[in-house]
Amino acid sequence: MTAVESDLSPEMFENLVQPDRVHRRVYTDPEIFELEMTRVFAASWCYVAHESEIPGPGDYKTVTLGRRPVLVTRGADGTVHALLNRCSHRGTILAVEDRGCAKSFTCPYHGWTYATDGRLAAIPFPADHPVGDRSVLSLGRLGVDCYRGFVFATLHPDPEPLEVWLGPARESLDTIIDRHPGGEMVVLASPQRLEFVGNWKLSWDNAADGLHATFAHHSYNNLGQTVDVETVLARDPGSTPMISKALGNGHMLVDQRPGIPQGPWATMRDVPFREPLESALIDAGMQDHLDLATGSMVNLSLFPNLIFVGNQLLVVEPLAVDRTRLWLWLTSAPGAPYEIDLLRLRVDEDFVNFGTPDDLDMFERVQRGLSIPEMEWIDMSRGLPDDAGEVAEGVVTGSITSEAPQRGYMAHYAKLMATAVTTRAL
Amino acid sequence: MRLPQAAVGARYDDLAALLAGVEGRPPAEPALVATVTSHLVHEGRLLDGGRFEEWLESFTDDAVLWVPLSTPAHPGRDQSLFLDDHRRLGERVGWRRDRTAWGQQPPSRTTRIVTGVEAWADTGRVVARSSLILDEQRHGRRQQLAGHQIHELVGDHFRCRTKILILPALTIGVRNPSFVL
Repeated sequence: MTAVESDLSPEMFENLVQPDRVHRRVYTDPEIFELEMTRVFAASWCYVAHESEIPGPGDYKTVTLGRRPVLVTRGADGTVHALLNRCSHRGTILAVEDRGCAKSFTCPYHGWTYATDGRLAAIPFPADHPVGDRSVLSLGRLGVDCYRGFVFATLHPDPEPLEVWLGPARESLDTIIDRHPGGEMVVLASPQRLEFVGNWKLSWDNAADGLHATFAHHSYNNLGQTVDVETVLARDPGSTPMISKALGNGHMLVDQRPGIPQGPWATMRDVPFREPLESALIDAGMQDHLDLATGSMVNLSLFPNLIFVGNQLLVVEPLAVDRTRLWLWLTSAPGAPYEIDLLRLRVDEDFVNFGTPDDLDMFERVQRGLSIPEMEWIDMSRGLPDDAGEVAEGVVTGSITSEAPQRGYMAHYAKLMATAVTTRAL
Repeated sequence: MRLPQAAVGARYDDLAALLAGVEGRPPAEPALVATVTSHLVHEGRLLDGGRFEEWLESFTDDAVLWVPLSTPAHPGRDQSLFLDDHRRLGERVGWRRDRTAWGQQPPSRTTRIVTGVEAWADTGRVVARSSLILDEQRHGRRQQLAGHQIHELVGDHFRCRTKILILPALTIGVRNPSFVL
């Protein structure tokens, strides 16, 4: 296969992404967007599934990776595969459901049949087909690797090992996983799906933005306010001990925990059916579990498509240069008392209903503003110089209102965009 | 270990049963349908007119408004768009009035078309199913969701104890759904 040709020069991205500002074209240029689908998405490790979504042999899930239809399956021997969801014959999509269980995948067009590991198992009337190496007619295969249940895939010809790619972000991922008893997390079946008329990077700019909540989420603070704690919703979050980090490879972190020594549950306002569920846990002496009912207060973002927010996995799916779909998958904690999962359902939908709409509105307002060609730049200088904070092993630590995380992911993005890569299916 | 959470579990089971059970009911009685239709159309008029406080008054204290993401559904086993009790429904109305609730500033303009109303008298309640087209216009754009709604109405004044909204477009993704009520 050949590299995606591009007239966009590597030097151009040095100009578009500068240490303290980013050019509007990065959000509005369709040609840049097309190149991102290969150089950023197809050539990076992208989150595609959690193993709990495909627990048994034959279980599968369909996703996209840089707009490519992808099938994530568990083979008969239990191995997880990431396959291009495209018949080798004429290109038909094989699986159209979001998820399911199949012994094999038969193309509805001409009946070619593939095993759950992607091998071509049968062609109808094979005598009419030239005899040759059938293995070249297997489904396209992505590189796949798992970290503690999280499945990532890539079309990079020579990807770095997943744990190297995670780097310092791995410690935060462990923190999120380890708060669940036995490290066990299960992703529930139905995601929330939200779309906005804006570039995918707007959600990325937002994910580690410790300042916006004070303004954009003002209405969430007004909402039946029953708690007074120093989260990102504080009046002056920069004056709190909370921190943000650029973790390298585009990964980002906001850690609200230093601001809330009382623990995450202390931040939670009254949600439907809170009282009977909380009382049941307290009466049983299991109130220590309550922190699990809300998020870890560790907002981790794994570039380019997975953001941990609350107890949800937020997956960013770019659709077009000015169109993005967000998938919010809720995780449950099977090792915790059942009340915790019942609480999570009402807790996590709270912000999605009264906070996320404000974010979506900001994304769409920004995209409209960025349509103005005479105003070229987006400022990302807050918290500079980065060495005012702590810099160690590629990690930049700043106050919660520093834009160090955004600068970090943008620098990584610019590096990827300036690097020609021949993505390929195995 | 399983702890007692019977009250919540029972309410959630009832919601799932109401949603699943309505599909198997026989054709409705026209006289009851006529009465219920006027209540449902009135509800649509209150919501489209932004008269949320009046609308809230038609709910019982133990009311639930539930918007599942797919069917069949159980509110204790999978995500929903939301499940509000009366308290959060009141907060939702308050949020709609908050001038800093940017997701509804400017507010959505909606048109509800309620049709295909069916209603059945059970012991102590009336259950209604109706088709709904919910049209929204905001920020110069428009989106239209179609589906159906189920109401559990109680007492002489047909107060709403349960409302369930089934909007299949939620399974493919909608823009800012904060207008959904």
